[in-house]
Amino acid sequence: MPHDSHDHDHTEPPSDLALRVKALETALTRKGYVDPAAVDAVVDTFETKVGPRNGAAVVAKAWTDPEFKQRLLDDASAACTELGFSGQQGEQLKAVENTDDVHNMVVCTLCSCYPWPVLGLPPSWYKSHAYRSRAVIEPRAVLEEFGVSIPEDKEVRVWDSTAELRYLVLPARPADTDDLSEEALAELVTRDAMIGTGVVQA
Amino acid sequence: MTNSVHDMGGMHGFGPIPREDNEPVFHEPWEGRVLGLMMTTGAHLKGNIDNTRSQSEMLPPATYLSLAYYERWFLRLERVCKEKGLVSADDLATLWAGQDIAEDLVAEPIAPDDMRRMFANGRSYNRQLNTSALFTVGETVCAKNMNPKGHTRLPRYARGKIGVVTAEHGGQIFPDTNATFSGEGPERLYTVRFQATDLWGPNANPKDTVFIDLWEPYLEAADTAS
Repeated sequence: MPHDSHDHDHTEPPSDLALRVKALETALTRKGYVDPAAVDAVVDTFETKVGPRNGAAVVAKAWTDPEFKQRLLDDASAACTELGFSGQQGEQLKAVENTDDVHNMVVCTLCSCYPWPVLGLPPSWYKSHAYRSRAVIEPRAVLEEFGVSIPEDKEVRVWDSTAELRYLVLPARPADTDDLSEEALAELVTRDAMIGTGVVQA
Repeated sequence: MTNSVHDMGGMHGFGPIPREDNEPVFHEPWEGRVLGLMMTTGAHLKGNIDNTRSQSEMLPPATYLSLAYYERWFLRLERVCKEKGLVSADDLATLWAGQDIAEDLVAEPIAPDDMRRMFANGRSYNRQLNTSALFTVGETVCAKNMNPKGHTRLPRYARGKIGVVTAEHGGQIFPDTNATFSGEGPERLYTVRFQATDLWGPNANPKDTVFIDLWEPYLEAADTAS
């Protein structure tokens, strides 16, 4: 590591990143650039307000309300806002529907774009070099690792989030779930199913 | 930087997907602080999402690959805060040594409620264009073979490849210019469908497709007669 000055041994940053982050937060706070309570608000938002339960509610409603489903497929941002889910990294949402003929999956090969308001922050594997590199060139092999087998004659459609559109997979509703309530259906919907690396099972 | 290691689509050798059961939102509390600091300092740093991405891409490839995700974000944030004069190296060194620094308020921080509102409202990337679309839905297009040294969102694996426009999204901020603060330069955005076999050759499943969102300057008319 380069030294700015040989007079101060402490110009080497601490190897413990937690201390180094704390130092930056303190420095910014002392100058009035940051209110730590606003940082708390961000952490709280991602730990308790946004996450895959939001997306699951959207999916379950789409399964039980055909008009909502149509609105979701026409303009997913507006439809999700109806349920109270909107905001950064979800300004332009697009829902892509899994059907008998098409299986959708979502990746961001260039960084880690992900629909925050409906799915929260991405899991580590979504940001991994392995997923980002492989999802577009061998999606079926990736899906197999997730335990999902797609028949050879069914299209696998990969969405690479290169712009500010964010994608949400609308998974297929499992069979024999006619008697389940919207809430019970939402319980079945997994995060991976909404990224497209899983399917919903009853 | 365009042709750097962040542009991973189609690369080999990264192994199986590393999955973790019951993964927490943040593995360590400092990760959440980094994200929170990035979001709360936004107005003071006067950055933009394209410049932020570009900064990460300018890391040497070996460094990019070796850093953990939030570590990469943090080192970028710390560097930018120093570059823009929000914090000084001396102040950081003092804090690293376990001492405190005096309060010297020179700015107004964003309040927690405003932070929540900013998150909930999001941003608009759409911009009105006075030009007509060069391409129409259903048209066959070619992603340009281009290798600019600056930031771009045209992945290498699509360059020179033929696809079909499936949607048009109007004018949107153009990353290539926005990343260098040389203007939003809005350009029309399209979604383009590529056949997997056109991207990867005969070993790909002929049924499979990849959809990529591409701005108009990334595209040119394809010679459909060829």
